Amino acid sequence: MTVRIGWLYPDLMNIYGDRGNIMTLVQRCKWRGIPVQVDELALGARLPEGLIDIFFMGGGQDREQKIVCRDLLEVKGPALKREIDRGAAALVVCGGYQLFGKYYRPFEGEELTGIEVFDAYTVAGNKRCIGNVVATSALGGPSGTIVGFENHSGKTYLGDGCTPLAMVSVGFGNNSEDGTEGAIYRGAIGTYLHGSLLPKNPGVADFLIEKALARREEGVRLDPLDDALELKAHDSAVVRARKTH
Amino acid sequence: MRFATRTALLLGKTIGTASRAFKFGGGSTLPGRVARRLDPAFVSDMVKELPLGCVLITGTNGKTTTSALLASILDRAGMTPVHNRTGANLMAGIASALIREADSGGTLAGRLGLFEVDEAALPDAIAETAPRLVLVNNLFRDQLDRYGELDTLAAKMKKAIVTLDPSRTVALNADDPLVASIGSGLEQKVLYYGIDDQKYASDTMQHAADSKHCAACGGRLDYDYYLFGHLGRYRCPDCGASRPETDVAATHIEMLGMEGTRCTLRFPGGTCDLTIPVPGLYNVYNILAAMTASLALGVEPDEVLGAVEDFTAAFGRVERVQAGNRDIMMILAKNPAGFNEVIRTLTFAPGKKTVMLALNDNIADGRDVSWIWDVDFEMFRGRLADVVCSGVRAFDMALRIKYAGVGEMSLATEPDLAKALDAGLIAAGRAGTLYVVPTYTAMLDLRKTMVERGLVTPYWEDN
Ligand SMILES: [Zn+2]
Repeated sequence: MTVRIGWLYPDLMNIYGDRGNIMTLVQRCKWRGIPVQVDELALGARLPEGLIDIFFMGGGQDREQKIVCRDLLEVKGPALKREIDRGAAALVVCGGYQLFGKYYRPFEGEELTGIEVFDAYTVAGNKRCIGNVVATSALGGPSGTIVGFENHSGKTYLGDGCTPLAMVSVGFGNNSEDGTEGAIYRGAIGTYLHGSLLPKNPGVADFLIEKALARREEGVRLDPLDDALELKAHDSAVVRARKTH
Repeated sequence: MRFATRTALLLGKTIGTASRAFKFGGGSTLPGRVARRLDPAFVSDMVKELPLGCVLITGTNGKTTTSALLASILDRAGMTPVHNRTGANLMAGIASALIREADSGGTLAGRLGLFEVDEAALPDAIAETAPRLVLVNNLFRDQLDRYGELDTLAAKMKKAIVTLDPSRTVALNADDPLVASIGSGLEQKVLYYGIDDQKYASDTMQHAADSKHCAACGGRLDYDYYLFGHLGRYRCPDCGASRPETDVAATHIEMLGMEGTRCTLRFPGGTCDLTIPVPGLYNVYNILAAMTASLALGVEPDEVLGAVEDFTAAFGRVERVQAGNRDIMMILAKNPAGFNEVIRTLTFAPGKKTVMLALNDNIADGRDVSWIWDVDFEMFRGRLADVVCSGVRAFDMALRIKYAGVGEMSLATEPDLAKALDAGLIAAGRAGTLYVVPTYTAMLDLRKTMVERGLVTPYWEDN
């Protein structure tokens, strides 16, 4: 059984090393002997029904985000929502995360309508939230934390229809106010931690792979991998984050 | 000279002397910072003392190498430059260079201001120095956390360039679509340079690529080929914008691995063959940039070529150091495009390499290290004997190498740079070469270690 990863708009939404997340999903499947395939889902491309197990979308610059917003609304949005309701996993980062909410309201110009996978909305903030992040999360592996880097000015607020991915102990998170970071709805994760989120947070990567497998077969358990290096990188990044804030 | 300028100059000189005497650091920017605070018009007043005016060099990659090369060409041509050679490329650094090169009466030791300028500082630098020539070498995604978006940055640069007197010159890299777009519709004289050879081109963009859209209309660019990151031959199917014809170009390129690059240079009125003793297509661009600038300033082609031939690795960002019976070759890599070019060059030469990768995340390196996931370390597959990962973010780097699946080599992780250097030298073996690829502050620290061991002379120190 092949795990199929659908990379949404790889040429438009790929900033800050977002493809590191794809590499991590691919390698962690391969190391376990699980066949894996990456399908690029570009502008205009329709989603194949029931075939994609994990969707991924990264961040982009403003212009890219507007183009993608239109394509989500006109082409892919309803299908994406349906697939996630049927158990597909997803990881969406920064701009991708915002577009998976209800809307993004900029200071000026038109509001970007989201596809409402997450019961969340985003408004433009007047300060850019940049820096290392440490946050406690159930997907945080042995340390119970996830670690990463955020760089966003949007402030995202969650409703009751989704839960936060984590609670920040270092950094800003969703909106600098309520301590939440990211969102989870079923198998879909949204987050402001960009770039290499999955390599240093193997628990999050394996959550997505597990959801993907569970779609096909009940009670599948992932073989453990030797994550010594991943955890060292995680721990040293946590130490560094506390020092640089 | 205005009284305020004179006062600011004297205070700046005093601070410079004191900071050198007591070694409290900051010598390259502190005097300028203070002088500008005392007299905001300090720079614009001081540059009036330069009979040949000012030149500004900017771009994400290569501005240090380009301006150092240009400085040596201008020196040779008798146009002695005042140069902010320590890489202090914000306004305070420019002011400090002026202070250092002036006597207490305000007379400058040089005749032309040659300033390497941070991309984001270009508008201020243009406003304060009214340059006769502005050169933009390239725009890559580099420490985005500092600059915001590239499009916005290019638009700000253009907005400042448009304000220049129409008699001034702008030199642009034709192969970089965002940079080339700055030249469209300008009243000023525009010179383009680029590589007119597709021997080392690829038809796919490296992952680090940045500029995929037409700056004029937002349409998606069509590329005939890519040379280095997003640099290549391109055209916009929507509005017809395309790579401009070049005034200065490199053709017949032959890459000789770490030994350097051979090429033919074409310029108005002639051509000549050149062997560049440092590797990488990015150095070809740096030479084209320095050459275009010096020709625009009226230097004779023969003089330009003589200086270019004397170009040595010493003032580039490649350093060769002897360590007992081993060699160290250190090559700075500070962003995905530069790093990819370093890897490409390393893998051109035959044999498996011993490599030390040193990743820091200090402010000068960029706090965010996710960019290493945009570097194509996969190019190293099957080409590495040993890898030592080091620096503050040694484990991030090691993880990147692990996920690149580069094969059966030994992977060591040692955050301490000096210890990692030792491990790398042991791994390189007798008469072997250790290739060290550090980010900026890791490079500074490694140099310090090498100086302490008597391996290199500290020529880069501020004096
Ligand atoms: Zn166009």
